[in-house]
This record gives sequence, structure tokens and C-alpha cells, in this order.
Amino acid sequence: MWLPFRYAVRNLGRDPARLALAVLGSALVVLLVMAADALDRGVRRTLRATGRPDNVILLGAGSEESVQRSEISPRAAAIAEAGIPGILDVGGLKAVAPEIHYMAPLEVGGRAGFDAYLRGGTPAALLVYPNVALIEGRFPRPGEVMVGRFAWRRLGVRPEELRPGAVVRLDDVPLRVVGCFAAPGTVLESEIWADLNDLRTIARRETLSCVVLRLRPGADPADAELFAHQRLDLELVALPEPVYYAKLARFYAPIRGMIWLTALLIAAGAVFGGLNTLYAAFAGRVREVGTLQTLGFPPPAIVVSFVQESLLASLAGTILAAVFAVIAFEHLTVEVGGGVFAMTAGPGTVLAGLIAGAALGLIGSLPPAVRCLTPPLPEALRTG
Amino acid sequence: MTLDSFIRCRGLTREYRRGPEAIRPIDQLDLDVPAGEFLALMGPSGSGKSTLLHLLAGVDRPTAGRVEIGGVAVNELSRHRLAAWRARNVGFIFQLYHLVPSLTAFENVELPLLLAPLSRRERRARVEAALEAVGLSDRMRHFPRELSGGQEQRVAIARAIVHDPPLLLADEPTGDLDRRSATAILDLLRSLGRRGRTIVLVTHDPRAAEVADRVLHLDKGRLLEAPA
Ligand SMILES: Nc1ncnc2c1ncn2[C@@H]1O[C@H](COP(=O)(O)OP(=O)(O)O)[C@@H](O)[C@H]1O
Ligand SMILES: [Mg+2]
Repeated sequence: MWLPFRYAVRNLGRDPARLALAVLGSALVVLLVMAADALDRGVRRTLRATGRPDNVILLGAGSEESVQRSEISPRAAAIAEAGIPGILDVGGLKAVAPEIHYMAPLEVGGRAGFDAYLRGGTPAALLVYPNVALIEGRFPRPGEVMVGRFAWRRLGVRPEELRPGAVVRLDDVPLRVVGCFAAPGTVLESEIWADLNDLRTIARRETLSCVVLRLRPGADPADAELFAHQRLDLELVALPEPVYYAKLARFYAPIRGMIWLTALLIAAGAVFGGLNTLYAAFAGRVREVGTLQTLGFPPPAIVVSFVQESLLASLAGTILAAVFAVIAFEHLTVEVGGGVFAMTAGPGTVLAGLIAGAALGLIGSLPPAVRCLTPPLPEALRTG
Repeated sequence: MTLDSFIRCRGLTREYRRGPEAIRPIDQLDLDVPAGEFLALMGPSGSGKSTLLHLLAGVDRPTAGRVEIGGVAVNELSRHRLAAWRARNVGFIFQLYHLVPSLTAFENVELPLLLAPLSRRERRARVEAALEAVGLSDRMRHFPRELSGGQEQRVAIARAIVHDPPLLLADEPTGDLDRRSATAILDLLRSLGRRGRTIVLVTHDPRAAEVADRVLHLDKGRLLEAPA
């Protein structure tokens, strides 16, 4: 009782312009949905990758949500180093990194007002962030900074304006770029790292934002938590990094929601556009459909064939979009909510695109197919 | 004669309403056609010939009355069963051929067979036989746009007979053809009629009288033996 598949295939060829429109239109929508998914995945993966399970952050009590607002005593680093067992020791140097996190406008290339995420630290930072690798130059000394490889993108400047040798100004203090680092898949790559004391002076603060410790493999983070509880005078909380970044992920939830909402609204608009073209296309087949029904084909057979036809076009668009996504997303990073994230396409991204493509083909063709079947048979057979 | 009628219509009425006005192209019509008869139906344009044919084919439903074909009360079948009944029992030939433009001659003729439990090989054999019967064996791979009007109508006839239905209905099949093609189509229908099929042919063509066993005229919703 079903119409042959080739009927659907041939019908596609009836109007090449409409076919091209349908394929490209669905490719765009599917690409948008895949982009939303890849971005969402990128944000989540980056936040997850940034939190290392053997790192513990000591923050000011009450500031667990935001390291920028956190203030802790500058003595905390030394006291923690002595008081917490299990801290990693590298050639006599303890993996304890005091840090100041500071968001401030930066002057780059003579232009002011670039919103930068600055992290002031000591060389011990390299011990707690072993995934940070210098790809150019060296770790900054006083009066210098090193930049994450995607910092230029976050600032919205040209890459060469942040290359080693360039000079940026923070609060009128000139700072020379002496290095560039990578920390693949983490939020660190969009930051600018400065000398701890420089930042303390420029930011005019006595306190640290946090102290980051790296524990020996197998050491228990609970020891750090116990220390924070016992040293009431320091007003600290100790959070394993994964816990801290999981909290940060919650900050991104509404932004991710907006990305999805935008993608879905545009997709819905495309469905209406597709509906319109198919209403017109199928309206021209009323007599043919009447003939098929006269031959004895039941309405479901005709609907299925028309839906097949539409699905073929939208799935061709999906394949196009998927190929493009796999090629393009690989090297694409996007700034979202102050962080720079690499688009991350996975099997789930392709699945999301497939669902979007199928929904587009199905929802776009069902009403026009049904409408095509509504005229009574004798009338359908009389249409020109 | 009434008892072994293949087609039997009683009090058949089809009314169209537009506001308070009602027109009845078919009005209290009685018709008996014995199995194997070739009946020609004539009448001026707008006299209700297509409407009657649609009622016989189960494509349209009567406002009142009965249509029985081969003992089946067609007007009582549900929409779904009617479609299945049509697929087995009716071959319909249209004035404008109504071939599916995106399918080849072969594929058009194959359509009715897709509704029957036949293997691909059986279908192929039957389609080839039907196209052979209408003299188009050499046009199987052609699309309708690559055929002349007369050839298109012959493909349409092949499509109407390929599943060997007992009833063949033709609605002005020569109305859009030149004289020569029209004659060929009428000859073809006559040869099909000799094989025991019941045929109802709606036509303006006076030559139809020569090929048909009987000619009826439709007038004011009823059937007459001779034109009024
Ligand atoms: N759907 C309809 N609504 C109203 N009137 C119709 C409809 N279909 C046919 N008619 C009318 O019924 C009459 C018979 O039509 P038809 O059977 O097509 O005539 P014929 O085939 O003999 O030319 C005509 O007057 C036509 O206008
Ligand atoms: Mg007519």
C-alpha cells in the first residue's frame, strides 16, 4: 500500500530551486543547532577540564561563588603550606600558589578600555597548573605579563597586539608582554598573568584572592578542608577545584539557556518558512494526489511519501551541516560571558543536528501534505 | 436482466448545495449494466456524466440511492475499504490522462500493482504485458513529458487494465486527442471490451456508438435510450 521510495526521490527533482532552498535552509538551521550544542559542550567541558581533582582552592569564607570578591590574608599561603599535610613538593618547592584575580580595563595598542581577566601569581603557579605550558617567551617578572593564547580574543584585539614585546598598560602602569602560554581546554587560556606584587600594588589591595594548592597523588583533600575549619582566624573555605568550577558552571547556565533559546527560535522561524514553500509546492499536486487515491492508495501512503521527500532534503542539509561543523568547529573559539571557549563537537552534537534536521523535515511537511489531501476526490480530479 | 446486472443503480442522486439553491446533476437515476457490456454514456457538457462515473467508481458518494457493483453496495463502504475496493475492481481513465509526471511509463503502469500482493517479477511481467497490449513496449522508460497525447492516454489505459479489474470507467478519454489518436483509443477500448470487461465510456464522440454495445444519454439527471 506504500508508494515507492523513488516517487519521493523523483519528486525532489521536480523543482531544483526549491530543493536547493530546502537543503541549504535546513543546513543553516541544523548548523545553528549544532553550534549551540558544540558551544554548550565547550563551556561545560572547559569548566570541567579546568578543575583538577588534586588541586584545592582556599577562598575567603562567603566568597565561594566568586574568586574576584574573595579576600584572604596574605599570611594564609605560608600558614597553609605549614599546616596542610600532603601538599606536593617539587624539588624542595611546595606547590602553593597565592593569587590575585583582578578584572580591569587594559590599554592595548594605545587604546584603552579592554576588559581583561588578570591573574597575579608567583612561579609556583606553574607547579599547581602543570597543564600550563609556555609556548613562547617566559614567566613574567615584575613589570611584565604573560598572556593566554586566546586572551586577544577575549579582549577583542588583534593577536599581534598581545605578542611578546608588546606593551600593555594597566592603570597607567606599563607592562611588557614576555610570554604566551597554552592550557588546552581550560579557561586559563583567555587570562593575562602578572607578577603577584605588581597586581597587589596596582589593585591597591593588601589581601590575596585565593591560594591554590596541589596535593600529592593519593592525598586527601579533606585535610585541607579540616585545616580551613580549624583556622577560624583565617576565615577560609577549602574547595577542591572540581567543586569550585562546578559552581562556576552554574553561573553559565542562564547564558547557555539563552544560546539554546536563540537557536530554537530561529529554527522555529525556519519551520514556518519551510511550511510556506511546501504548501505552495504540494498545492500543485492536488490532482496527482487525487489520481493516486483513485487508484486506491490510502491517504497515509501519500503523507508518508511527501514526508519522506521533505526528510530527504532536510537530512541532506543535515549532512552538509555536519561535515561543515566537523571541519569548522575544530578550530573555532567563542567568547561567552567573559570566558573564551573552544567549540566542542561530539557525537551528541551530530545527534542534536540530526534531531533538528528530522524535526524540520517532519514538522515542515506534515501540515502541507495533509492539506493536499483535504479537497474531496472529485474536486481534486477536476483541478487543472 | 436486473438479476445478473454487474452495475446496478437505484434512485441514485447527487446533489450540490450552494446556499438555498440545490442542483442535482444526478437525480433518481436507475441503471443496469450486465457484466461484459460496453456502455457508452453521452450528454452535453455539464449534464453530470463525470459525476455519474465518479459515483460508479466510488470516488464520490451519492446524496441518496444505491450503487451496487458486482454485488457490493459501494455507497456503504467506509472510506478505507472503498479505497481497497477501488484498487481491486476499478480501472479509471481520465480525459487528461493524469499520469504521474515524475514516474516513467513503466512506473506509472506499475502503480496499481503495488497495492496487490505481487512479487517484483510478477509485477514486471504484468506491466510489460499491459504496455504490450496498448502497443507501447518500446516506451517503457519514457517519462510522460516525452510522450504524445495519444501515447500518454495509452499508458493511462495500460495503468487502468494492468491489475485486470472487472470494471473499466473512461471519462472522455478521447476528448483531448486528434482524430487519428482518438480512433486508435476507441479501437483499443473495443478490443479490451471483447475480453469480458464491463466498460462505461463517457464521450462526446458520435463514433463511440459504433464501438459500444449500447448508448445511453444523460438528461436532467436521468438516463434515456435516445437523445431528448
Ligand atoms: N463540487 C461541485 N460543486 C457544485 N457543483 C458541481 C460540483 N461538481 C460538479 N458540479 C456541477 O454538476 C454538474 C455536472 O457536472 P459534471 O458531472 O462534471 O458534468 P459533465 O461531466 O457531464 O460535463 C455541473 O453543472 C457542475 O457545475
Ligand atoms: Mg466531465
